Amino acid sequence: MKALILVGGFGTRLRPLTLSVPKPLVDFANKPMILHQIEALKAIGVTEVVLAINYQPEVMMSFLKDFESKLGIKITCSRETEPLGTAGPLALARDKLIDESGDPFFVLNSDVICEYPLEQMIKFHKAHGGEASIMVTKVDEPSKYGVVVMEETTGKVEKFVEKPKIFVGNKINAGIYLLNPSVLDRIQLRPTSIEKEVFPKIAAEQKLFAMVLPGFWMDIGQPRDYITGLRLYLDALRKNTSSKLSSGSHILGNVLVHETAVIGEGCLIGPDVAIGPGCVVEAGVRLSRCTVMRGARIKKHACISSSIIGWHCTVGQWARVENMTILGEDVHVCDEIYSNGGVVLPHKEIKSSILKPDIVM
Amino acid sequence: MGSSEERVVAVIMVGGPTKGTRFRPLSLNIPKPLFPLAGQPMVHHPISACKRIPNLVQIYLVGFYEEREFALYVSSISNELRVPVRYLREDKPHGSAGGLYIFRDLIMEDNPSHIFLLNCDVCCSFPLTEMLEAHRRYGGMGTILVIKVSAESANQFGELVADPDTKELLHYTEKPETFVSDLINCGVYIFTPDIFSAIQNVSVQRKERANLRRVSSFEALQSITKIIPSDFVRLDQDILSPLAGKKQLYTYQTLDFWEQIKTPGMSLKCSELYLAQFQITSPHLLANGDGKKTATIKGDVYIHPSAKIHPTAKIGPNVSISANARIGPGARLISCIILDDVEIKENAVVIHSIVGWKSSIGKWSRVQAEGDYNAKLGITILGESVIVEDEVVVISSIILPNKTLNVSVQDEIIL
Repeated sequence: MKALILVGGFGTRLRPLTLSVPKPLVDFANKPMILHQIEALKAIGVTEVVLAINYQPEVMMSFLKDFESKLGIKITCSRETEPLGTAGPLALARDKLIDESGDPFFVLNSDVICEYPLEQMIKFHKAHGGEASIMVTKVDEPSKYGVVVMEETTGKVEKFVEKPKIFVGNKINAGIYLLNPSVLDRIQLRPTSIEKEVFPKIAAEQKLFAMVLPGFWMDIGQPRDYITGLRLYLDALRKNTSSKLSSGSHILGNVLVHETAVIGEGCLIGPDVAIGPGCVVEAGVRLSRCTVMRGARIKKHACISSSIIGWHCTVGQWARVENMTILGEDVHVCDEIYSNGGVVLPHKEIKSSILKPDIVM
Repeated sequence: MGSSEERVVAVIMVGGPTKGTRFRPLSLNIPKPLFPLAGQPMVHHPISACKRIPNLVQIYLVGFYEEREFALYVSSISNELRVPVRYLREDKPHGSAGGLYIFRDLIMEDNPSHIFLLNCDVCCSFPLTEMLEAHRRYGGMGTILVIKVSAESANQFGELVADPDTKELLHYTEKPETFVSDLINCGVYIFTPDIFSAIQNVSVQRKERANLRRVSSFEALQSITKIIPSDFVRLDQDILSPLAGKKQLYTYQTLDFWEQIKTPGMSLKCSELYLAQFQITSPHLLANGDGKKTATIKGDVYIHPSAKIHPTAKIGPNVSISANARIGPGARLISCIILDDVEIKENAVVIHSIVGWKSSIGKWSRVQAEGDYNAKLGITILGESVIVEDEVVVISSIILPNKTLNVSVQDEIIL
């Protein structure tokens, strides 16, 4: 089987992290976001992954070269020279996706994090015998999204309603599709939307079926949702493979600590914390609801909550970093500084407190 | 003048509970003159400066607080300094000169040759001995301590003009609207006993004027309540202004620091100035530590001997810690006043703040302000028995007594 991952553009919503690496390479739970997807695809027997990308393909490919051999999966790139929307990239990658097997192929949105129940999706696809399957997920505020109106028992999709003003349903497109190769015949090579132009036609022919995604779902394309996504991801990890989570008297709730990270004495870590490879957390540090990326150092008595600490940052002694503070790569927060919602671009030194949410260029 | 026969008496005006409202919420618990700066009550600093005057026989504190509020302090400081210190209570405010005058018989009991008059709410190095020597040279009735300030800030004070050679006071005006001089009155004076006749004259004149008005003018009758009572005599307007240029009053200029202590913010600034002065006057009061057996100390820090500081804490600069305070492991204190019985728990941070009596700061919590001493919320103040729970952040706020904070606050006054 093959799969296409829609990587897209600059990832501006996840700046300043995406100023250092393309968005799919931003770490989430100690692993680049795209590896969560590639590993899930590999696990169900996908042999080739095509990345639909329009920004920095070289960076992506040089990074993923290592993983091709490590995971034993072929990774190629389909480069858009102009943005082609959500369907155009499929037409562009047509030749890579079609082979003699005639098997359906997966399409994944790279911003989405979930438990990837792809095996179940394959069964669902075979069972209904239609042309395309999509995953849907239940949300609290469907008015913000494109709602999929479907027959509850069979999953047969009736229509798509974009940002409905009155309630038509609470299931939205989760950005995970399993499509027969024939779907590609419906897509022209031009900027086009799969939700607005392709799926409605398949639905009209009663060949589009939706499966409700079991477990959590989160679009982690922006910092607030990234932090929420980590909580949901760690909750799922607790249920499925809790041995990966840390335990001990200094741990509160779900905490993921990379084996090469070092934690000092008298710390209190958690809940919902990921500490990446090579990080050093010195004595007396308090971490909650945050991600500390590769190579970062948190000095003594610092306190971090609801924030993302980028690669190779340092947070000084008695510093406090909170309220959606996002530190780009190689940012240094000096001793005793307070950051309340500071969004800091890479390679900066923070010498005075940021008392209200602000951007430090 | 044989100095062996001289006797000096000092009078410190401490005010009363209806004054000093700008010092709230800290003055809700304690008379402002007893609020600690550099670990010592505010009034302690002028008292210990008076102690250094040769031939000092008595110190009086004059104010209209209840006697019992000063009883304990007065007895302990008398013992400590071995100088009699006595609190004299006015039945009502009489003005700074009036307050001195009503106790004239008591003050003159010791037959002093010179009387120092000091306002309690000024912070300076009190160069009283040098001032006394200058006063003797001038030979006038009184000498005023003065300081040069910036032209922009001078109009908040009494501005004065002095003869550059003789140092005579030529002109005095209180808080003028337009610029008169950048030389201001520091609120520290030395007088000969002749000052009492000068005050009496004002009092008598005022009584006569009031009587005259009462019989002659219907208009005056209507505004009679506005007429200042005859026993209320202000030193600045009623004595200094009229006597300027009459070869009775002189000035002594200090080149050291001087500040007025009207607000809690200024108390933190003045605490810093007094701690720095301790390097010269009382180095034994300053803490030391390198983080091995005792806490790491940076800059000027006062720690009361009964306070317990964990060796992993880091303290300073400009920190004063009062009796029985407990500072936990990994706590960090910068530019703050920690009052009696406060507990600061593990890894908490306190910056540019005053933490009130019996308050408690939770683990990894943070109490901070920007440290602008003159701004309304420039320093964070926690009143008595305020509880800041673990990991809570309190920024640029004033918290009145007996509140518990379980969520973070910023730029707020919590009643």
